Amino acid sequence: MSISFNLNGKSAVTDAEPVSRLSHVLREDLGYTGTKVGCDAGDCGACTVLLDGEQVCSCLVPLAQVAGRDVTTVEGLAGEDGRLTELQQAFHEYGAAQCGICTPGMLMAAADLFKHNETPTDDQILDALGGVLCRCTGYRNIVDAVKHVVQPNGVTFENPEVGDAMGARALKTDGLEKVDGTEMYGADQAPADALWARAVRSPHANATFTLGDFQPLYDKWPGLERVLTAADVPGLNGYGVYPDVKDQPAFADGQVRFKGENVVALIGDYDSVYGIRDEDVPIHYEKRDDIYGFDAALAEDAHRIHDNHPGNIMAEGFVKKGDAAAAMKTADVVIEDYYQTGFVEHGYIEPEAGWARRVGDRLEITVSTQAPYMDRDEIANIMGLPKDAIRVIPTACGGGFGGKLDLGVHPVIGLAAWVLNKPVRCTWNRIESMSASTKRHPSRITARYGCTKDGDLVAYEVDGDFDTGAYVSWGLTVKDRVPVHATGPYFVPHVEARARGIFTNGTPAGAFRGFGIPQAAIAHDNLMDRMAEAIGMDPLEFRLRNAIRKGQETATGQLLEYSAGLDQCLEALRDPWRKARAEAEKFNAETNGVKRRGVGVGCMWYGCGNTSLSNPSTMQIGVAADGKVTLYSGAQDIGQGTNTTMVQVVADALGIRMDEVNLVWGDTDLTADAGKSSASRQAYVSGRAAMEAGEDLRGQILRMANAGHDATFDFGDGKLTVTDGDAVRVIDLAKLPADKHGGNVLLGEATFDPPATPLDEMGQGNPYGTYGFGAQVAEVEVDTELGTVKVLHVWAAHDVGAAINPAQVEGQIHGGVAQGLGLALMEEYIPGRTNNLHDYLMPTFGDVPPIDVFLIEDPEPTGPYGAKGIGEPALIPTPPAIFGAIYHATGVHMKQAPATPDRVRAALLAHKGE
Amino acid sequence: MYDFNYKRASSVDEASSSVSNADEGKFVAGGMTLLPTLKQRLAMPSDLVDLADIGELVGITVDSGSVTIGAMTPHALVHASDDVKNAIPALSKLAGLIGDPMVRNRGTIGGSISNNDPAADYPSAVVGLGATVHTNKREIAGDDFFTGMFETALEEDELVTKVIFPTPEKAAYMKFPNPASRYAVVGTFVSQGPQGTRVAVTGAGPYVFRQSDMEAALEANFAPESVESIKQDDADLNSDIHASAEYRAHLVTIMAKRAVAEANG
Repeated sequence: MSISFNLNGKSAVTDAEPVSRLSHVLREDLGYTGTKVGCDAGDCGACTVLLDGEQVCSCLVPLAQVAGRDVTTVEGLAGEDGRLTELQQAFHEYGAAQCGICTPGMLMAAADLFKHNETPTDDQILDALGGVLCRCTGYRNIVDAVKHVVQPNGVTFENPEVGDAMGARALKTDGLEKVDGTEMYGADQAPADALWARAVRSPHANATFTLGDFQPLYDKWPGLERVLTAADVPGLNGYGVYPDVKDQPAFADGQVRFKGENVVALIGDYDSVYGIRDEDVPIHYEKRDDIYGFDAALAEDAHRIHDNHPGNIMAEGFVKKGDAAAAMKTADVVIEDYYQTGFVEHGYIEPEAGWARRVGDRLEITVSTQAPYMDRDEIANIMGLPKDAIRVIPTACGGGFGGKLDLGVHPVIGLAAWVLNKPVRCTWNRIESMSASTKRHPSRITARYGCTKDGDLVAYEVDGDFDTGAYVSWGLTVKDRVPVHATGPYFVPHVEARARGIFTNGTPAGAFRGFGIPQAAIAHDNLMDRMAEAIGMDPLEFRLRNAIRKGQETATGQLLEYSAGLDQCLEALRDPWRKARAEAEKFNAETNGVKRRGVGVGCMWYGCGNTSLSNPSTMQIGVAADGKVTLYSGAQDIGQGTNTTMVQVVADALGIRMDEVNLVWGDTDLTADAGKSSASRQAYVSGRAAMEAGEDLRGQILRMANAGHDATFDFGDGKLTVTDGDAVRVIDLAKLPADKHGGNVLLGEATFDPPATPLDEMGQGNPYGTYGFGAQVAEVEVDTELGTVKVLHVWAAHDVGAAINPAQVEGQIHGGVAQGLGLALMEEYIPGRTNNLHDYLMPTFGDVPPIDVFLIEDPEPTGPYGAKGIGEPALIPTPPAIFGAIYHATGVHMKQAPATPDRVRAALLAHKGE
Repeated sequence: MYDFNYKRASSVDEASSSVSNADEGKFVAGGMTLLPTLKQRLAMPSDLVDLADIGELVGITVDSGSVTIGAMTPHALVHASDDVKNAIPALSKLAGLIGDPMVRNRGTIGGSISNNDPAADYPSAVVGLGATVHTNKREIAGDDFFTGMFETALEEDELVTKVIFPTPEKAAYMKFPNPASRYAVVGTFVSQGPQGTRVAVTGAGPYVFRQSDMEAALEANFAPESVESIKQDDADLNSDIHASAEYRAHLVTIMAKRAVAEANG
């Protein structure tokens, strides 16, 4: 029985079943992939469409219910001529789309609002859009975009002229496709004849297993083409982000170590792969006791999760400067305490997805990722193929935050496509995405800080355990980064810092915006508040006094020569801090009610790039015979904006306008290795490579034209005109051999590897080329009866060296604050329990307060035009600022994140009882 | 994938007979819980009977003593109705607090109370206002309608047609929402009027219940102070990752106190 309805004004007919999800029918049967699927449970709102003009989650609407009715998707917003609506244009201009995966849903929700109400209030906007989750933007720019439609505020956006790209609030080069529904993500691109792959995952956290006979399954399900198991892996059945640690199997081999681990994969047509129930697949488990948490893992009789790691200790990181124990005895004030945090989920709205095909002797993987080149190498290992036999074609990435650095769908689709010689696709559902992807490391930290009565820090001793879950993933980075940054961004003469990674049967903990530093910051900045109070000093002034500055050495003995702007950040915050503190105290005195306000401050620093490791980026920029200029950028844009910032840097370096630069991005066959979009390194490392590549090409052209430094270029009609004052020289590009990369006639190329040295056994050395610094002030209101905490305002000051694109830097800060707020107040992933977006709580509209951004630019000479990273720094100071504010409001120190209402209330009750 | 019949009924009688003639028939109202239920294989009905085309089930009527809401009236319509807002502002507010706009556009009062999720909002209004549930077969007092977690007094082929809420003298709904789903972790509906003094609590227990200690105290003096020291026994309350039974019990008191304050204006 076919069902017909009106889709964007045209008739649509489908034979899909009446209870098919409307979202699935739109995407898979009718080809309208602008509607995104994030959860299939009505939680995320990415699939929002209009049904008879009203917003609905299309994943919850059975097809039969739309028969004869009007459905509007994002593709139906723009006019026939492709002209964007005012709303879409505003989203583009306001940076309301970062990764863009939630944007279609946001647009549809806003379109519904405007259908009913042309002049909505702020509250009405928050409510109308409140069913759509965004993990990148912190929502503020989305609200501003909608408000702009209500009342244009006169803000104009620049299309920078030659030489003005650096520092311009340039619009995203890939922004339009994010607002018109044409952007293609991991689940949007597979060919129609692709087979589907679905992992069958372990229901147990700790078990051995044997596989039975699959023949009955094949007999019952003719559409099932193949069941893949560990035995099918031709190369190494193991992967991991470090060259020498490949401990996570692509397919579990007789043993599973966490709930949700991939055991076998079903490959076949959609109905078969999704019709087969897990319990019908012959996997026979022998369950063992789960090891969750530090105490269970470190118990003397705990079994080893990995045979080669006695005591379940993965590794330990250590930094020692001076003699902290001895110095601590000389301190006038010593404060010690114990802090805990839980697993945190990245919560990108796009689940892992991609497709693969075999092309002769090569394997092509088209996938949503943060690390195309690392993916290539990992797949080559697993497939037993040379690296150059693998091509990774990244799709637009619907959010990553560290979670799409590790392999996701890749091994299954790669192996299946190779073995079957057919295209194979896979999209994880929300539950598998949350169960099987990495998490932020849970931590428990004991820390002791000492200072003099005059307010000078004396010594810091800290010992932290980090739960790395079942596999190493990025655990080694966490155990290295934490001791290096453990003091916080302060000058401390004596430091002893230790961090251990501990194996458990938890979900593997990996990279998540900050690599353990956000956890460590909760500890050091709580102690900073308490030392300040003990000596009667203002918390902000105490931090300013101790802020590490140029000319001082870090805990690893690294001399900061340039770009250390924490003092400037704190000075920028001083006025709002004083004013907000005074107002909060006035509010509390005047109301004396159950609602108490407070204001806190948090500080951070963060090394940009990989710790003590070579992490080069290579950028290429070519000129074709027809004059077309192309930047080949392997720096994957995961929403943070490298597709724009790299173009900005290159445009200025070469001396042309941004819109003259064509961009080829990501594809490992077409671009050089620019490393991972991780460690806040792309703006800094790849940006520097892009700048030098642009300069290289400019230098070549100037030499060919024998022109001076101020010469200008005009690329057109196969002729490159170089104008140097009165001298004009024309280079006939068509006559040059097209033998350079990409078939270009000219090619600029550069590689930048940030200066870093290994750490010695005392943790001494120069682990990073540069550090980002920042400070944030948060104002909260605590409902002391309920224990709820509402963040009212955040002021964020970050030293970014130089802002390549201030609008994008602000976007990163907004998003970081939102994720920091989530970490502080609501987010805790419990393996096997909160693997959906209604039990796992993330900030939504209304949770994220207004954010005032102060950009501090203390230039970093090794960065592009002075720039360094901001991606991770933005999140780190938010939790300690919020916790400090809770203390100011209530007198209670929160030492466990998240500070959920029941925990805050318990702390208030305990405080009252003291 | 799913082997069943899907039918859109055009009248209450047709819907009812379709379900009674089926092996295992189920009504579909807004459909908000249908797909999750099917996908998790919590239900495997033989026939689904969709009520969306039965126009007579949609609508709001307000007269001097009551507000009548048709079973298929979506929450958004209840929230937007000025008549409801004037007659029972607490009911209007409750409807506007349900889920998100997508849920409010699709979800219906009949679907909500028939499903009787322990954390749903509407059951607290039905009990808290002493409403009467009308079905195609009979009238059921609100107090008798909800019988257990996801269980009601409805028979298999019995269909809610409308709910009649008596207009109270004063009423208010206060809830502590789950920040993601906006389901009630605890929601308390208080009222005073022709149906007596009522305190109905949702989210805290297996299904909505009346807090009789608070009702007695408010009967004597309808003031926040009357309830603020009345503790809810946490023995039979829900306990989950979002709130312990102890915390829910605490919330019952606070929400009741705040609801009374709001009801008093």
